[in-house]
Amino acid sequence: MNRRHALRHIALISGGLALIPSCDFSKEDILAAYENLKVTASQKALLGAISDTIIPAGEIKGALNLEVPDFILVMVNDCFTKENQDKFTAGLTAFPDYVQKTAGKKFEALSTKEKEELILNGTKLEGDDTPEGKERGNLSYFLNSTKRFTIQGYMASEYIQTEIIPYSLIPGEYNGAVLISDLQKPRING
Amino acid sequence: MANLNIRSRQERTYQAIVVGSGISGAWAAKELCDLGVKTLMIERGRNVEHIKDYPTTNLLPYEFEHRGQIPQKIQEENPVISRCYAFREDAMHFFVKDTEHPYVQEKPFDWIRGYQVGGKSLLWARQVQRWSDFDFEGPARDGFAVDWPIRYKDIEKWYSHVEKFAGVSGNKDGLAHLPDGEFLPGYELNVVEKYFAEQLKKHYGNDRHMISSRCAHIHGNAEFYAQQGRALCQNRNLCQRGCPFGGYFSSNSSTIPWALKTGNLTIRPDAVVQSVIYDEEKGKATGVRIIDRLTKETEEFYADVIFINAAALNTNALLLNSTSNRFPNGLGNDSGLLGKYVAFHNYRARVSGEYEGHSEYTTSGGRPTSGYFPRFRNVYKQETDFLRGYAAGFSAGRGVGPDTSGIGMDLKNSLLNPDKYGPWRVGSHMMGETIPKETNYVALDPNLKDEWGMPQLKISVDYDDNDEKMVKDYIEQMTEMFTKAGFTNIQSNDSKQAPGLDIHEMGGVRMGKDPKTSLLNANHQLHAVPNVYVTDGASMTSTSTQNPSLTYMAFAARAAHHAVAESKK
Repeated sequence: MNRRHALRHIALISGGLALIPSCDFSKEDILAAYENLKVTASQKALLGAISDTIIPAGEIKGALNLEVPDFILVMVNDCFTKENQDKFTAGLTAFPDYVQKTAGKKFEALSTKEKEELILNGTKLEGDDTPEGKERGNLSYFLNSTKRFTIQGYMASEYIQTEIIPYSLIPGEYNGAVLISDLQKPRING
Repeated sequence: MANLNIRSRQERTYQAIVVGSGISGAWAAKELCDLGVKTLMIERGRNVEHIKDYPTTNLLPYEFEHRGQIPQKIQEENPVISRCYAFREDAMHFFVKDTEHPYVQEKPFDWIRGYQVGGKSLLWARQVQRWSDFDFEGPARDGFAVDWPIRYKDIEKWYSHVEKFAGVSGNKDGLAHLPDGEFLPGYELNVVEKYFAEQLKKHYGNDRHMISSRCAHIHGNAEFYAQQGRALCQNRNLCQRGCPFGGYFSSNSSTIPWALKTGNLTIRPDAVVQSVIYDEEKGKATGVRIIDRLTKETEEFYADVIFINAAALNTNALLLNSTSNRFPNGLGNDSGLLGKYVAFHNYRARVSGEYEGHSEYTTSGGRPTSGYFPRFRNVYKQETDFLRGYAAGFSAGRGVGPDTSGIGMDLKNSLLNPDKYGPWRVGSHMMGETIPKETNYVALDPNLKDEWGMPQLKISVDYDDNDEKMVKDYIEQMTEMFTKAGFTNIQSNDSKQAPGLDIHEMGGVRMGKDPKTSLLNANHQLHAVPNVYVTDGASMTSTSTQNPSLTYMAFAARAAHHAVAESKK
């Protein structure tokens, strides 16, 4: 590992100018996402609560600590088609009523276990062409997209890739026949 | 248009001009400079200096705003370039956007371009296999195109010359139809790739091979490459960003800095070459006229010898646009064939599968290459209902992933401790030879112009029945080989992608023995204007199956030496 780190160091020196990263998002992009997608303050809080249910904080930080909701909204704003953006925001808008109807409470009032069940069930909803079916489709699209981007934004975050599972720019010489039984992996407890 | 010829003619005169700074142009320039020739290399795009101009090279995944993905708006505005596998957030600044440089698709053609110093040499896939006489003799044996005016013996030492300098890793495989070269130590095939190679031997005798693909990466002899300021490849697999180690060969890391060190090279970036100037009295080309990309002003440069290495289709466009009383249809175009007999590589089909065996193994580290399946169809004699054949890429890999079905702490712990090994996945893609035809051509659009007043290129290139048969055969044969090797869940796919996305467009200024049926002679000189050389993809008489860049490099080096020898006569 020391050798690899040393090599990365050399790469960094030789690539000197490339070193100052414009890390994560600019404030402008985040603001643009909120504005374009018309996300309200309460919706932002809800998205935070959902992402924190998907990957909660523990010994290791969770999604909300890493501002994953901002990542989700920038991705939806920049990388989705207009049609999919509409499905996403329709699902986000419909979510509070869905929670009220299925659980009889607001999302914040649910226990962790109830929140998890509700989201997991929501990702499995199937849509159809009826108005109710469309809403189910939007809800599951919203929850599945949110789960996918939460995982991506969390795992590809500076925190995870530097402090928890350091990403190596120098992966080392190829070994084409490594016995899995010889690999020793530390157990990382979330 | 303003004319910038205010500097004296002498200041704008060189011994040689090279148009284009990509893989072949920079090779021509490097050889000319090594031989003491004062050379001007002209590039239409901006300057890109090694390391300094690789802004993403050391970025970590989380430093890309969209984690690599190209935003939707850019994709919608640029559908052609968005189909290219390497057009991602980390390298998008090295690709031409559709909106910047329009062209006319008479038939669908994905034209992938890199307009900067170094061209596409920054972005290429770095696979370098030699041709053999089974390739050079193809047109003559099978009765298509015209006979190549050269054979393997003419190019062999030039392959060695460029391989040594560029740094090529590979194994001595001893295959007559894929000659060995000057190799640094080869990269290892993994346990399942080796297994597949053994299975081929078992089921097909000595007919079918799968080898470690030769690639332009430094994997040994570090001291030698240190002279170029390059170091060993670090297996980063981030090549398309530009490599701070110079671990793979590019114009930017290798030939250009080398040529600059001789003191003989001048680089003129941001200069769109409008035409080659032909002097009717002298009966030769005397220089080029450029349009400054930024100011739009014109200027002329002069030289005794001119190399056109603008990349295959742009070389065609430039010659077509270089008209005079002597050559009303384009420079050197007495035959009327300039722009015709364009061909490419057929990359449409893939076959994939899984392998349950060797389940106790995985891989570690990285490598810049994978397996290569040299052509086995119609090598020694015609044996199928289609002409020629295909090579293929092959690789096996095994990932470890988390179970993402859960939520909450279960999901988090699973993400942080990925331990789900799936089966080995195996995959292959075809690289088929296409037959050059007069009906596959490029021409200048009579009406449409680009921002610099240059006629837009009209591309009319399509697949034919031979290509369809080859796709079918590749899928059948690869499926059979996968089945015999015990692979399961075998799937095949014909993407029907348009020509061009292979980024191996070739021809239009083909070599040949007869000026009536070709544009270039055996030394890459225009038959009718011998002080103009073309050594890029435009010069290809046929395509064979190998990734072509190595052959362009060898052509460029050989032609540069020829030009210098001629000048001393």
